[in-house]
Amino acid sequence: MTTTLETVREILVKKYSLPIESIQPQATLESLKLDSLDLVETLFEVEDEFHIRVPQDGSVNLKIATIQDIVDVVNRLLAQQKPLQLAGGH
Amino acid sequence: MVTGLGVISPLGNDPDTLFSRLMAAESGIRPIAADGARGPYSAIAAPVEFDPARHFSPQQKIDNLDRVTRFSLAAAAAALRDSAIQFTDESRRRSGVSLGTGMGATNALEEAYVQLLMRDPDRLKPMTVLTTMNNVAAAHVAIQHGLSGPNLTYSCACASSAVAIGEACRQIRHGYADVMIAGGTEAPLTFGFFRAWEALRVLAIPDRADPSASCRPFSKNRTGLVLGEGAAMVVLEEREAALRRGARVYGELAGYGSSNDPAHITKPSVEGQAHAMSLALADAGLTAGDVDYVNAHGTGTALNDVTETRAVKKVFGDRAYKVPVSSTKSMHAHLLGAAGAMEFVVALLAMQRQAIPPTAHLEVPDPECDLDYVAGLGRRDQAMRCIMSNSFAFGGTNAVLIARQTEQ
Repeated sequence: MTTTLETVREILVKKYSLPIESIQPQATLESLKLDSLDLVETLFEVEDEFHIRVPQDGSVNLKIATIQDIVDVVNRLLAQQKPLQLAGGH
Repeated sequence: MVTGLGVISPLGNDPDTLFSRLMAAESGIRPIAADGARGPYSAIAAPVEFDPARHFSPQQKIDNLDRVTRFSLAAAAAALRDSAIQFTDESRRRSGVSLGTGMGATNALEEAYVQLLMRDPDRLKPMTVLTTMNNVAAAHVAIQHGLSGPNLTYSCACASSAVAIGEACRQIRHGYADVMIAGGTEAPLTFGFFRAWEALRVLAIPDRADPSASCRPFSKNRTGLVLGEGAAMVVLEEREAALRRGARVYGELAGYGSSNDPAHITKPSVEGQAHAMSLALADAGLTAGDVDYVNAHGTGTALNDVTETRAVKKVFGDRAYKVPVSSTKSMHAHLLGAAGAMEFVVALLAMQRQAIPPTAHLEVPDPECDLDYVAGLGRRDQAMRCIMSNSFAFGGTNAVLIARQTEQ
């Protein structure tokens, strides 16, 4: 089964042509030269890919600094949904 | 001083091609079929042939740039190349952008509404605001060239880009900038905007025998305007700086006049149009006798062409019958917010090449339009030292630009 990290990596590689090996869990978005707008666009695609909705209240995206932060948010939202649908990638 | 020109036009994406096709009375108007929100639609228009791969490198991210923004970037880059200007860190701080657009990012806006109302209201693209705000085209031009001087967007319908150029000139004259990239961009050929213009009943009835001849300014059988798309940009440069670096000069932007018709949202007034022309002449320190060519607003609507003819007579007196007045909208159609800039570029090229482009498809004289509209083909070997370009807008804004040759 595809892991959350793998799917996030796929999204970033496709969207920003980043070398896959640069997308390590602890890599900061800044180090990947991704700015706040890139994060907003990435979250949009993450939402589509995982069938989740990242809350609009700023509690999430303001705290995202690394790839692992994105993975954690996705996993948390997927866990909350678990009774409703299957978790995982695709 | 105008030291660079760039165009993305229905008659080609460089000034040479545009001008030679205009001189040959070639029309860029044709039937188009496009995908609309509710299936294909057909209309006549003057579309641009635009291949992004020719204007942007694979590294440039253009997914979030509307067609209107892509046009402005391509035209601005061409104008800067043409000017051969070399920016320094210092000069970038004294260089800015002044751009006009009437309708803005119509394609992205329409796509967003389709998504919002017909698909999923929860999935609007994150960049929707930053793709559709009216100043985005000017913003990206400044970003691409690193310009930190004034960054201005004017939206006054069909006068937008004439105003943008006139106001840019003032930025330089008044000492706020040394270089301004000025002009306009428009890409209104979308399903929704077509329907909106159709609903207003100002679009020309397609000529069945020859759709390319559907726009017939000043002709008795004119039936309205044809929508076009494109962008035109000029590089305006402070006079002494331009001369010092030995820039090639297309002309000196000598006068700008701006007035308004406050009586009605669309109905033009002889008084307002004449006032704008007189203000531009006064600004240039010239008289009507000095003007050798007028590029008319000449939309091809019943009302505009008669009103503009009367306004020219009011300003030019007897000379109105001697000065050539042509509407190149008969060929490149009405570029709305980009029209003023496109036609100013055409008039500058006319002065540079001493050749007057015609009013195409003027075959049936209208007793109420009795000036020399340069019917037929363009005229070569015409001595010209000064040109005027008229732009009159729905909403009331009138803007007139005057350029003259410069002794170097």
